[in-house]
Amino acid sequence: MTHDLHTLAAPYALDALDPHERARFEGHLDQCAECRQELRGFHLTALRLAEAEADTPPPALRARLLSEVSATAQERPVVTTLAQRGRIRRAGPRLLVAASVLVAAGAIGGYVSEHNRADDLQADSARISAVMVAGDATMLDGKVRTGGTMRVVASPSHDAAVVMGSDLKQLDDGHVYQVWAMHDGVPRSLGVLGSGAGMLYAQDIAGSDAFAVTVEPDGGSPAPTTDPVAAMPA
Amino acid sequence: MARRSLFGKESRMSQSAADRLAAVPETAPAVDPDDLLVRVARGDESAFAALYDALGATVFGMARRVIRDPARAEEVAQEVFLQVWQTAARFDPARGTAKSWVLTLAHRRAVDAVRHDQAATNRENSYDWSPGVDHDQVLETVTVRLEHEQVRRCLEGLTELQRESVNLAYYQGYTYAEVAQVLGANPATVKTRMRDGLVRLRDCMGVEVS
Repeated sequence: MTHDLHTLAAPYALDALDPHERARFEGHLDQCAECRQELRGFHLTALRLAEAEADTPPPALRARLLSEVSATAQERPVVTTLAQRGRIRRAGPRLLVAASVLVAAGAIGGYVSEHNRADDLQADSARISAVMVAGDATMLDGKVRTGGTMRVVASPSHDAAVVMGSDLKQLDDGHVYQVWAMHDGVPRSLGVLGSGAGMLYAQDIAGSDAFAVTVEPDGGSPAPTTDPVAAMPA
Repeated sequence: MARRSLFGKESRMSQSAADRLAAVPETAPAVDPDDLLVRVARGDESAFAALYDALGATVFGMARRVIRDPARAEEVAQEVFLQVWQTAARFDPARGTAKSWVLTLAHRRAVDAVRHDQAATNRENSYDWSPGVDHDQVLETVTVRLEHEQVRRCLEGLTELQRESVNLAYYQGYTYAEVAQVLGANPATVKTRMRDGLVRLRDCMGVEVS
């Protein structure tokens, strides 16, 4: 089995796997230092194949990108470590339901946020706890059409919300769940949740009349490109 | 080995030649892409601009080679760099270089685009056996031409099955199962040839893994 997966390193580096095999190999990578080492070499080799094709892009692309990024929020995925889960659980019995979702999210959602820096995690953890224990926190639950649930815990006094997914249908690794806040029918991205489960912290939610979730290509989209799989009126 | 050291020398010459010609910015990156990407993750827009200057030509050129349609390749390059901006925090320097990270994202997007665009067409009939666009016309810098030349020579050093396996997968976006079908080979054999091919390319091009 291990040997079998090991042979996928080359097709993986060339993007020649179907989504199912890709996911299997990525799962294997975490446990296989040898594969990671070999893959590094293969990725650098593939990089040379790309560099050999370098070609000056149209100048307008640069200008377009620079104006786009100045208006685009960056992903701040959140993870729950064991310590954080403990802290959140102690916050109060009324959050037990939410906390159980956190545990589920942490179990599967590690992928979403494994590359976060520790200081980010601590900052996010503190902000999440603040929203969850806020006196004015409200909880919205929504069924996701493709399976699982979305929960939004929103606190007007913090002007922030924590969005959690649980039991979501596993997406192939080219896709993510993206969460939107609706203002008068105009969607604004709150971030992406990755596959399966996960959570995110979002600010500036005042005036949102609904939250929606769509399935988008990995990394998310500037605007929804598919119909919502979940919608929750605020 | 001889080829590698020869190329090392030529690459240095071409670097200064390219500098004199004030060629595409990627020939003289002012800052290490790894540092730039870490700064991008903190929301630094000027670092993003510098990262684009360093990698834009490679991302666009690769996308164009895979997708062929320049307008679609430009769209994909734009999506890639937006994704880089949005997800820069996921970059882990311990797992590879920024260049490799960005190009891995970019290649996956390009392949997804070409698979999506071609899903409705009969790809076996439309498969283009030519080596690609006319590089004499599109290659603008000495560095890129040398790089291209080296890759071409190294590809020529592979067996036909190795070369076609790598070529169809990387430059045409085929899965290994599709490659096997097109080449009339066993999928397991194709997987092995991809691996052998990449190992030989890696050694031929002098890729060093730190």
